[in-house]
Amino acid sequence: MGPVIDSGEFGSRRRQGVLRLVTLIVFSVLFVRLYQLQLISHSEFGRKSEENSVRTIVTEPVRGYMYDRTGKLIVDVGPSFAITATPASFDSAAARELATLLDLDPAVVIDRVNKGRQYSRFSPVRIKRDVDFQTLSAVEENLYALPGVGYDVESKRLYDYPIRAAHLLGYCKEITDAQLAKGGDAYRPGDLVGATGLEASYETFLRGEKGFEYIAVNSRGQQIGPLEHGQRDVPSQSGFDLVLSLDAGLQAYAESLMTDYRGALVAMDPNTGGVLAMVSKPDFDPSIFSGVTPANDWNRLNTDEAKPLFNRATMTRYPPGSTFKMLVAAAALEEGIVDEQYRITCTGGFRFGRRLFKDLHVHGSVNVVQAIEKSCNVFFYQLVLKVGLDKLNEYGRRFGFGKTTGFDIAEETAGLLPSAAYYDRVYGKNKWTLGNVVSLGVGQGEIGVSPLQMARYAAALANGGTLLHPHAVERIYDRRTGRSSDVDPRPVSLGLKPETIRILREGMREVVQEPGGTGGLARIPGIESAGKTGTAENPHGADHAWYIGFAPFDNPRIAIAVLLENSGFGGAKAAPIAGKLMQRYLMGEAKPDSTRAYAAASENLLH
Amino acid sequence: MNQYFKEYFDVKTLLICLALVGMGLLSIYSATFDINNAANFHRQAVWAGIGFLGMIVVMLLPIRTLQRLAFVIYGVVLFVLLVVLVVGSTIKGTKSWFGVGGLGGQPSEFAKVATVLAAAAYLSRTEVSITRLKDLIVTLVIFGVPMVLILAQPDLGTTIVFFAALMPVLFWAGASNFILIAILVPILVAFGALFGTAAFLIAAAIGAGTLYYFRENRFAVAVAFGIALAVGLSAQLVYERLPAYQQKRIATFLNPEADPLGAGYNVVQSKIAIGSGGLTGKGYLHGTQTQLNYIPEQWTDFIFCVPGEEFGFVGAAFVLGLFAALIFHGISIAGLSKNRFGSIGAIGITAVLATHVAVNVGMAMGLMPVIGIPLPFLSYGGSALVANFLMAGLLMNFYANRKEH
Repeated sequence: MGPVIDSGEFGSRRRQGVLRLVTLIVFSVLFVRLYQLQLISHSEFGRKSEENSVRTIVTEPVRGYMYDRTGKLIVDVGPSFAITATPASFDSAAARELATLLDLDPAVVIDRVNKGRQYSRFSPVRIKRDVDFQTLSAVEENLYALPGVGYDVESKRLYDYPIRAAHLLGYCKEITDAQLAKGGDAYRPGDLVGATGLEASYETFLRGEKGFEYIAVNSRGQQIGPLEHGQRDVPSQSGFDLVLSLDAGLQAYAESLMTDYRGALVAMDPNTGGVLAMVSKPDFDPSIFSGVTPANDWNRLNTDEAKPLFNRATMTRYPPGSTFKMLVAAAALEEGIVDEQYRITCTGGFRFGRRLFKDLHVHGSVNVVQAIEKSCNVFFYQLVLKVGLDKLNEYGRRFGFGKTTGFDIAEETAGLLPSAAYYDRVYGKNKWTLGNVVSLGVGQGEIGVSPLQMARYAAALANGGTLLHPHAVERIYDRRTGRSSDVDPRPVSLGLKPETIRILREGMREVVQEPGGTGGLARIPGIESAGKTGTAENPHGADHAWYIGFAPFDNPRIAIAVLLENSGFGGAKAAPIAGKLMQRYLMGEAKPDSTRAYAAASENLLH
Repeated sequence: MNQYFKEYFDVKTLLICLALVGMGLLSIYSATFDINNAANFHRQAVWAGIGFLGMIVVMLLPIRTLQRLAFVIYGVVLFVLLVVLVVGSTIKGTKSWFGVGGLGGQPSEFAKVATVLAAAAYLSRTEVSITRLKDLIVTLVIFGVPMVLILAQPDLGTTIVFFAALMPVLFWAGASNFILIAILVPILVAFGALFGTAAFLIAAAIGAGTLYYFRENRFAVAVAFGIALAVGLSAQLVYERLPAYQQKRIATFLNPEADPLGAGYNVVQSKIAIGSGGLTGKGYLHGTQTQLNYIPEQWTDFIFCVPGEEFGFVGAAFVLGLFAALIFHGISIAGLSKNRFGSIGAIGITAVLATHVAVNVGMAMGLMPVIGIPLPFLSYGGSALVANFLMAGLLMNFYANRKEH
C-alpha cells in the first residue's frame, strides 16, 4: 500500500486536536440548547403543547330537583338541545344559512360566535338554546355546509306536577355578562342561572359542577379521542336536590282557591315554620322560562299592570288591619297595663283631640277577648294609647315585623313598623302627634306587613308563643352520596306569659267559633279553629282583606295568612279561603259547608 | 481469543450503532404506529437487518479490495446519479429516487460513502500530495462532480453535507490554512450575494481580508479572491434565472421564518415537542406532539423530537451522547490508522456523520435553518440506514486494519 504517513501535516496530532475541539464545541452547543429547551423553558413549551393538542369539552351538570314534603317531584329536569358553534372552525360565510335554519338574524349568530371566541376559540358556544326537534334535524342534515356547528344537550326545567308556585320556586335565566364576570370558573356564556325564588337563592346548591372532558386533537384540529383514555376527565356532578316543606296537593288547591283574586296566601306548619303553601296571584307559568323565553312573553309579563312577576306573598307591604289587634293586646297584657277583666264601653267611636276615630258597630261593654272576637276598634284605640308607641314597637319587633323573616328567597320586604324615631324622621321632631299612634291600635296608618310575616305571626299565636324561622326548604339532598342536611328552623320564644297567650288564643277562637265572631266563614266542620279578620284601608281604591288563622285550636297543625287585594272586608272572602284550605290540609279534602252554618256566620261579616 | 477479538473487532462502533438503531426503531414506531399500522417500523426493521449484514460484509472485506474498488463504486454511483436526474421519480419536487422493480433508493445517500472512499483512495496514492495544486484540484473534482449532480436534483441539504465532509478531509490530508480559506471564501461571498449587494460587498471584504491574512503569496490571494468574486456574481445571476419555485426554495432556506406555515411551522412544533419533554419526558407513546402528528413526516427529518418529547432530556441527551462518542471514536480511528486510506476514510465518514447530526439536531432545536437531511441511524429511510450501516462497517474495517501500512 501507500507509504508510511509522512512527517508533514497529514493526520498530525495538532490537526486531530483541532477536530476534537471542533466536535466538542459543536456538541456542547447542542447540549446547552437541549438543556435550555427541556429544563429551562420546559413550562413554556409544556403549556404550548397542551394548548396545541388538548381541547376541553365542558359537560353540563344536571340541575338539582325539587320535591315536596311528601316526596312528589315538583321541579324536574328534561333534555333540551342547543345549537352550538365552535369559533375556531366556524365559517362566518355559513352564518347566513345557520341563521335561516334557526330563524335568527345573521348578526346575532356572528355576535354570539365572537363573544364565545373571546372566552375560548375551541369551546362550542351556544347559538340558540332549546330548539325543537325539527330545527335540530334541519341543522343536522345541513352540517356538511356548516363547519364547526354542532349541538349540546342541556337540561331544562320541567314542571309536571300541576302547580305553579312560580314566585316561590322561581325561574332561571341566561347568565348576564356581569354575573359571568363575577362567577369565575363555575359559569360560561349561555349558562342558565337561577334568577328568582328558590332557583336563585339555592343556585350554588342546585347548579351542580361542570365536568370536563379532555379531547386529544391532531394538527388539523380533528378530534382523535379521549386524552389518556379519559383518565384526566372530570365528570360533571349533579346539583343537590331540595326537599321542600311545601305540600304540593295543598299548593294546587290553594292556587285554585285564589284563582279569581289578586292577593297572596301563605300556609305554614306552626310547629316548624315550614311553608306548606305559598300563592301569589296573578301568577305565571314557570315553564315559559324553562327554555328560551320568547321576548313577547317576557314583555307581556313585565308590563302587565297586575304585576304577575311580583311576589305578593313576600313583597307586599299593606297595613295588617284588625289582625294586628292581638299584638296590641299582647303588649298591654304583658306589661300589666290591663288584665282579662279590664273592660271599656264601646260607643261606636273614639274622639281623640279634634279627630273622631270610628268603629263599625256599637259594641257596648267589652273585655279584651270580646274586643278581639268582635273586632272592636274603640277598645284598641284606647288600649294602644296606654301601651304607647315604644312598647308597641318593641312587641312588634318581637313578633318579627319591620324586618325580613330570613325566608329562603331573596324577594322579601322588611315591611314597616314605625317607631318614634321613624315619625321624627318623616314628620320632624314634635311635628307628629299621638293621633298617628291611635290608628296603629287597629293596624292602620303607617304600618306595612307582608303575608309571610302575617303567617309567621299566626303560627306564633298558634304554637303558644314561639316565633319560627319561616322556610321552604327542609332538606338539601346530595344524590351522589345519599347524604342530606336538614335546615335548622331556629325557633325563638317570644317570652310571653302563658296567660297572655291563652287570652289571645281565646279571642281568636271566638272570632271563628262563636256566633258573634267576624271570622265564622273560616269554620271547619268538626274541627275547632281560630283566626282574625282584618281590613287594610287603601287610599287608592277598595280596601284589602286579611285573614289569619290556625287549626286545630288545641293542637295546631296549620297556620295561615290570606290577603285579597281590593276585596273589602276580611271576613267575607279571605276567611272562607283560609277555612277551606285548612280543612283540606287537616281532613284531606274540603267538605262542602253546611248552608246554615254559612248563613249564621254571614251575619257577623261586617267586621 | 478474547485478545484477538479486542484487537480486531470494533465493539464500540457496533454497540453505539445498535443502540442508535434501537432508539430509531422505537421512535419510528411511536411516530407512525397509529398512522399506518407501524408499516414504517416494519420496513425500517427489515432495512436495519439488511444494513447490518452489509456492515458485517464491509467490515470483513480486505482493506486493499476496498481501496481498489473505491473508484469503481464511485463511477457506478455517479452513473446512477446521472440516470436519476434523467428518469428519476420526483418526490416533493426533488428527483432523487431511483426505482428498481419496486425497490426505491436514494443514490445520493450512497454517493457520500463512495465519494469519501474515492477521495481517500486518491489521496493515499504514493505520488499524491494535497499540497500540490493538481492533486488538490483532482480531490475537489472528486467531491465536486457528485455535488453538482445532487445539487441539480435539487437536494441542497445533501450538497451541504458533501461540502462539510470535504473540509475535514482536506484539513486531515494536510491542506494549508490558505487553501482551506480559499475554498471557504467563495461560498461566503456567494451566500452574501444572495442576501443583496450590501451583504455581497461585506462578505467580499471579509473574504479578501482573511485571504490576505493567511496569504502564501500575493498571486494566490489574487486568484482566490478573483474566483470568490466570480462565484459570488454568478450566484446572483444563476439565482435570477432560476424558476420561481426554486427561488422560493432557496429563499426559505435562507430565511425559514418567512414561511411560518412551511419550514418555520415544523421548527416551532419541533421545539414545542422537545421543550415539553422536560427532564424525563411524557412517557413512551404518550408524547402529544408526536402522537397527534403535529410535526409533518416527523419520522424522517424530525425524528429527534420523539426521544426528546417522550423520553425527555434523559433520552435526548443519551442519543446525543451516543453520537458524540461515535464522532470522537471515529477521529481516534483516523488517528490510529497507519494507512492513509483508512485514516482519510475514517475522517471523511466521521465528518459525514457529524454533519448530519449537527445539522439535523440543530434544525430540530431551532439552531439551524431547515435543511432536510436525516439523523443517522434514527431517521426513517432505507437507503440512509443502509448507507449508515455501511459507513459503520467501514469504520470497523479501518479499526481492524489500523496497523496495516
